[in-house]
Amino acid sequence: MEFDWTIFAPLFAHTLTFWWIILPAIFLGLIVGAIPGFSAANTIIILLPMTLAMEVENGLVFMVALYCSSRMGAGIPAILVNIPGTAGAAATPLDGYPMTKAGKGQQALAISFVSSTAGGLLTTILALLAMPWLAQVAFYLHSVEMIVVMLFGISLIATIAARNTLKGLIAGFLGLMIGSIGADHIYATPRGTMGFLELYDGVPLIPALVGLFAVSEAFLVIEGQSIISDKGQTLMRKARWAETFEGVRIALSKWWHIIWTSIIGLVIGVIPGAGASIASFVAYQQSRTFSKTPELYGTGHIEGLIAPESANNGVTSGTLVPLLVIGIPGGATAAIMLVVLQYHGVTVGPELFIENPELAYGVFTAMAVTYLLMIFTILPLARYMSQVTMVSTTYMAPLIIAFTLVGSFVPREYMFDMYLALAFGVLGYIARKTGYHTAAILIGVILGPLLEQYFLRAMKMSQGDVMTLFSSRLGNVLWVLLFLSIALPYLLEYRRNRRR
Amino acid sequence: MSESPKSRSVGGDLVIPVCAVAFTLYYFSTIIDSPWTAQISAFFIGAILIFLSLVFVAVTSRQVLKGESDLRFRSLVSPLRLIPKRLILLALTVLYIIAIEWAGFTLTSFVFLLASMMVLGDGRNFRIAAPLSALLSLSGYALFIFAFETRFPEGPFETFMKGLF
Repeated sequence: MEFDWTIFAPLFAHTLTFWWIILPAIFLGLIVGAIPGFSAANTIIILLPMTLAMEVENGLVFMVALYCSSRMGAGIPAILVNIPGTAGAAATPLDGYPMTKAGKGQQALAISFVSSTAGGLLTTILALLAMPWLAQVAFYLHSVEMIVVMLFGISLIATIAARNTLKGLIAGFLGLMIGSIGADHIYATPRGTMGFLELYDGVPLIPALVGLFAVSEAFLVIEGQSIISDKGQTLMRKARWAETFEGVRIALSKWWHIIWTSIIGLVIGVIPGAGASIASFVAYQQSRTFSKTPELYGTGHIEGLIAPESANNGVTSGTLVPLLVIGIPGGATAAIMLVVLQYHGVTVGPELFIENPELAYGVFTAMAVTYLLMIFTILPLARYMSQVTMVSTTYMAPLIIAFTLVGSFVPREYMFDMYLALAFGVLGYIARKTGYHTAAILIGVILGPLLEQYFLRAMKMSQGDVMTLFSSRLGNVLWVLLFLSIALPYLLEYRRNRRR
Repeated sequence: MSESPKSRSVGGDLVIPVCAVAFTLYYFSTIIDSPWTAQISAFFIGAILIFLSLVFVAVTSRQVLKGESDLRFRSLVSPLRLIPKRLILLALTVLYIIAIEWAGFTLTSFVFLLASMMVLGDGRNFRIAAPLSALLSLSGYALFIFAFETRFPEGPFETFMKGLF
């Protein structure tokens, strides 16, 4: 499968004519991305009757634009109020929120927008060029390799929470344990459900996200009159357009950082099930590992904001590669796109590139056009969006609780999910007040069911032999990389201390 | 509660490990008679979690015995002046979830927002809180229920509006 360059220019020009679909999708995506509980996947499901009624080309362009912009939208509340819109933005507040608290919310948003669009645009082009090779990645990852990838995600928590690795690990494994709640995959035995039928399908992700980040944040922000410090407020009042341009300049000066962290996102996005949450943490951890100033991460460090934002937009392109090339969706949104394509009688896989190359490559040109349009439409909004942090916590806290709690009701329409979100809120409050990572708990909840699924599959195939975890060559390479990623920060710190 | 500047309160730090161990033991009790396929992953993760928690408890106990820390919950509840407000906000949140099922999103949100804003503003901000709560709950209705047709809990207001349009 080779990319035919001759069709690219006319295809790009043709995609530009869809601006009337892309622009509303961008704004809709930003809104739904910014509200916990309204993921791109949920929105596309809600709008499925509309996309199915559209021409297949129009429907795809709409879904792709909404998907890309929602990924960027999820970073906005993560930066401004410490509440990631989706799990993929869970690493964004680590450095984005401290910037806001220091009165640099406008600059942080501009950096996030530039990193997201540049990372997304770059990985879209790379995905186009490397599609035949990237698609092979999914073939090489079996159960054992996936277990290592999952443990890699958890190990990152320990290194990210390096101020107290033990607390980071406890939070991550508690999340994994909570993620194991539910009926088992084979005999449907209820496990740890406390008698609640609503937990038989496992712990729903949105109430966990809402509780751990939004509800706990609401109970914490009331400690101050405003989210940002008095000094930060003074800076915010003085902020003009120059702050946005300064953010753009800073982000562009870190162009190399954007490139390599977005490539991490692209590669991880290709792995089915891995997703933006792992990608953003992997990128964040790698960024810190190779930084000359790792101690600044978590204090409002610019590279710590660029890494997750570039990576989670890199995932967007990555998840579509296995969908189009081998028919395996890389994530929930890609799976819904598959449904729409199948409804219109489009067969995905290698034949798509022979029978309908305009459609196959058109998905990526639609992404490229979306990112180009996004930078001009979203960037001017940074200045106004950042003003939300000036609102008094007296009004902000109740607003956060009311609108996010009801958002946790939406995906399954169970009242139980609102109580669950509140329970996670209490857990999140305790965790944050005592120095445990809420992001670590969330990643554990996400990975718990996946880890169990792959672990069980590996055990069944090896008839219970634990040594199967070390039986694959690629798996062993990944194990070595996993231990290196844990050890490397300590080794580098040791070397730095010795030099001093 | 007297506060010693020399020692660090670590009682709060123990809440999560203790809860983690308790939950893991409860989880184990639910799978003890299950087939191995339902047990293996949980035993693997749970055993690591219990080990990590016990290590943390041991490290913390050592600090307490050496006098570097104390077992008070200061880090969890500080600042003390906010405890009543936090508890009232929590109670209002529970009431919000209970009431929203039958009173619907718009009405319940209005009452919750108004009551919470008044509590957090020490009752001195009715002139701002009342119109703001009304505006926010009506905007929520217009955006989510009317425009996006999101299935939020419905009550008398939503039913009335549905009849109107």
